[in-house]
Amino acid sequence: MTSEPRAFFALDLGAATAAASLIGHLDGRWRLLAAGAAPVETPLEPLLEGLAVQVRVTDPEAFAAIAPREDGHELGTAAWPRLVARSTPPSRLAVLAGARRQRGLLERAARRAGWRVSGGSLDETDTLGLARLALAADVQAILLGAADPPGADERAALPELVALAVAVARRRPELQIILAGSVAEQAGAFRAEGPGEPSRARTAGDALDAGAVAPDSPATAPAATSGDASELILGPDATAGQPEGAALRALLEALRVRPDDARLGIARATASLAFLLERSVETFEVGLDGALRCRARPSGEAHGRVQTEWIVAADAALAPPEPDEHAIDGVLAWSTVPLDRYRLADRLRELRLAPWSDAAGEGALLRVAAARASLQRLIDASPDLGGGPAPDLTIASGGAWAAAPPPVVALALADLVRRPGATQLALDHARLLGPIGTIEDEDERRALLLDLLEDLLAPLGSLILPAGLRAGRSAGRLLVHGDSGTTELDLVPGGLELVDLPPGQAATAELDFRDTVRLGTRGRHFATRVSGGLGGLLVDLRDVPLRLPDRPERRRELLDAWQSALWTGLEA
Amino acid sequence: MSVGTWAEQALPPSEVAAGLERVRVCRLLVPAPQVRIRLAPGDRPLVSAGDAVLPGTQVAERLRDAAVLDVDLAEGRPVDEPAIEPAAEGPGPGRWWVGADVPPGRLGRRSRPRRATGELLHEVDGRWRMVAGEHRHPIEAPIAGIVREARPGIAIGLTVSGTGLPAAIGAGEPARGRLELASGPDAELRPGELDVGRAGAILVVGSRIDAELLSRARAMGIRGVIAGGIASGDLRGLAASEARQRASLHQLPPFAVLALEGHLRRPVASPVMAVLAALVGREVAIVSDPPMLLFDAPDLALPEPEPDRVRVTHGALAGREGRWAGLGGLRRFAAGVQLEAGLVRFEPGPPVAVPLADLERFG
Repeated sequence: MTSEPRAFFALDLGAATAAASLIGHLDGRWRLLAAGAAPVETPLEPLLEGLAVQVRVTDPEAFAAIAPREDGHELGTAAWPRLVARSTPPSRLAVLAGARRQRGLLERAARRAGWRVSGGSLDETDTLGLARLALAADVQAILLGAADPPGADERAALPELVALAVAVARRRPELQIILAGSVAEQAGAFRAEGPGEPSRARTAGDALDAGAVAPDSPATAPAATSGDASELILGPDATAGQPEGAALRALLEALRVRPDDARLGIARATASLAFLLERSVETFEVGLDGALRCRARPSGEAHGRVQTEWIVAADAALAPPEPDEHAIDGVLAWSTVPLDRYRLADRLRELRLAPWSDAAGEGALLRVAAARASLQRLIDASPDLGGGPAPDLTIASGGAWAAAPPPVVALALADLVRRPGATQLALDHARLLGPIGTIEDEDERRALLLDLLEDLLAPLGSLILPAGLRAGRSAGRLLVHGDSGTTELDLVPGGLELVDLPPGQAATAELDFRDTVRLGTRGRHFATRVSGGLGGLLVDLRDVPLRLPDRPERRRELLDAWQSALWTGLEA
Repeated sequence: MSVGTWAEQALPPSEVAAGLERVRVCRLLVPAPQVRIRLAPGDRPLVSAGDAVLPGTQVAERLRDAAVLDVDLAEGRPVDEPAIEPAAEGPGPGRWWVGADVPPGRLGRRSRPRRATGELLHEVDGRWRMVAGEHRHPIEAPIAGIVREARPGIAIGLTVSGTGLPAAIGAGEPARGRLELASGPDAELRPGELDVGRAGAILVVGSRIDAELLSRARAMGIRGVIAGGIASGDLRGLAASEARQRASLHQLPPFAVLALEGHLRRPVASPVMAVLAALVGREVAIVSDPPMLLFDAPDLALPEPEPDRVRVTHGALAGREGRWAGLGGLRRFAAGVQLEAGLVRFEPGPPVAVPLADLERFG
């Protein structure tokens, strides 16, 4: 094979979906030549061969230029280079604390690091309850924490908790034990022979040094450590870091993820995109087993740095393994299908069992409702990422959107990410962000992204979302000056206006309001550059935050009316 | 009811239309599967790793009224405990011990500490926390096998000497009984059709189970029920019933439920039904971790699934079976959704396009 590969497959292997893209080097740059996806349990090779055949049939010359050869013979797709990102399988963490308040802090850090969490504290449950929790077969790590210094409500409980954790560590040497805050001083108790320094204890710094996952730099995570028997990790207090709990969250994330984790890859690629575009970028990824929210914005002199924040939430998964009442209510709230909660719970569990099935008809509507509910849980779990102005670019990613029409994805983002301002919407249609984010070298990653900028994201359109509109017949008017002329619209509060603006076209939107509104800044007259997409230009004059009727029938009607306007063929 | 007739029309593999490899394979049978019986603190394993067990061998005791005692082990002694390594000496987490239930000075109106037997949890300030209780009931091995691991408070792992038929959902305690077909693959058995003559059996009841059928089956001494689907609400009802059983003094035999497909009503697939029909009258077992029907029948000739037979799992045609007729490319389906399709020939009629992800085949 030649030393310089001219084509490779980028693979995002998720919990439900294997997404594959064929990237080839043509005309001096890398280009996306074909993309496809299949259920992860079906063999991958037929999918890759299909992509290669697609390129060979549509553009034989391009295929001849990129196909790897050895001794003049074309190599099969099995020998082509691959750039692979994989979703880290979900792991369960048992959180043990002396007091409910501390348990809440520890659980919050763990949930934001992508763990599934089951927790208990000695002021809520007895020793037996905590023992059951820690010994449960699906638990992979234990987080034992106390404030530093321990609070009055924790002090008496600590000896009992430490003794319990020591006993669990002896019974289940395969578990990782993380001691956070002042309880880290009790590490000596975990030595099998008696008090002293534990031989296999690592500090948080040691754990992070393996890959340096710092709060504002989504770098490569350290290698998985779950195979290291009885490993003891000494972590920071649950409130340490900025924002509060960031230090413990970073440690827990580093312990959970695999080096080629797709979600951290998306976070890294989002940061690189923000640097290249010199614009703020926010990505919302929703998958079967978890979700990611990542915000990156250029900062510093000449935008030479990128400030990145993200959370990974297992609770925001499209189909949680055991959907609780909150999750079911969330889907019901967004569903346009009249189902009682018991039938809906069954449908959600079916989605978990067979995530690719039932993707047409009513199943498609339910899937979109479940994706919206997941997005809602993700946003609720990350209030600190929701402040500030709307990002310049909002990206949707993940398997949850795979079968949804792109304009409906745009509407879902508009329904849930309700920050006043104007933003461009895009879809990671080929799921390339994850694999590209696994490239460790920042320059190399940026170079590839730069080449692929035109192919990487499917443009969904632009969203203009003003806040502070007064109820009435008209709030003002909108003029859209595009290549094909000018469109004028009356701005009616509470409505959702759609302006046809195809992909590739740009326009200037002028908004004149009767009263002062918030649209990034406060004012009455605004002009902004907008770009087209599969959903066109959405001018969202609905409430911020969005208010929906309490009566289920009325709510479904309203959601259906908004959705039908963007969902071609819904009645088919 | 007819089962197994499809085998006569099978195409040779060379004549099967292309693209079948893109249809998800549903594994029909698993040889020598590994299963797990979960234990909680206080449940006592009675076997150790490497032990061979037979159907009905008592492998553990389930503690029904677990409570934590504060015990003094000064004059205590270990309980003969097979699951603990012989080299282990002295009290330790997970070991079984006899001790005095409270330290002197905290006896209240009692003059002497009571002797308590239970599982040691952990030691605090020289005293041990012990999980103990009065009422235990036996857990039996549902099938012959070799104990892979026995971890007090966690699980007993078993490598089965036999074969497993995987399912989507399992619930209840491991149970065994003779297999009976109580209805056809797409029928729904009514509770009134059950009678005590089926006591001790594991019943195949068709496309769906409901809560009333479960209650009645359990009360009549039926050991297990197998169906295409079970609603999650009915599963919760079963779990509540299990909890009530554990709390009561009168114990019924173990009872288990197996849903082959999921939570929706769906006929049992014909290759699965053929296996079940071949097992009628034989001893089988149900376990829930992982959900599986187990049987040990080396003498039994089980029908091979046809290579070109596919089944629709979801959508308007859910449950129907037909023959693979090739890939259908990207098609537009209900609600305007575009999906990769496969062509399936149902009898009679021309090939029908079905979303590829709604199809499965058996292997």
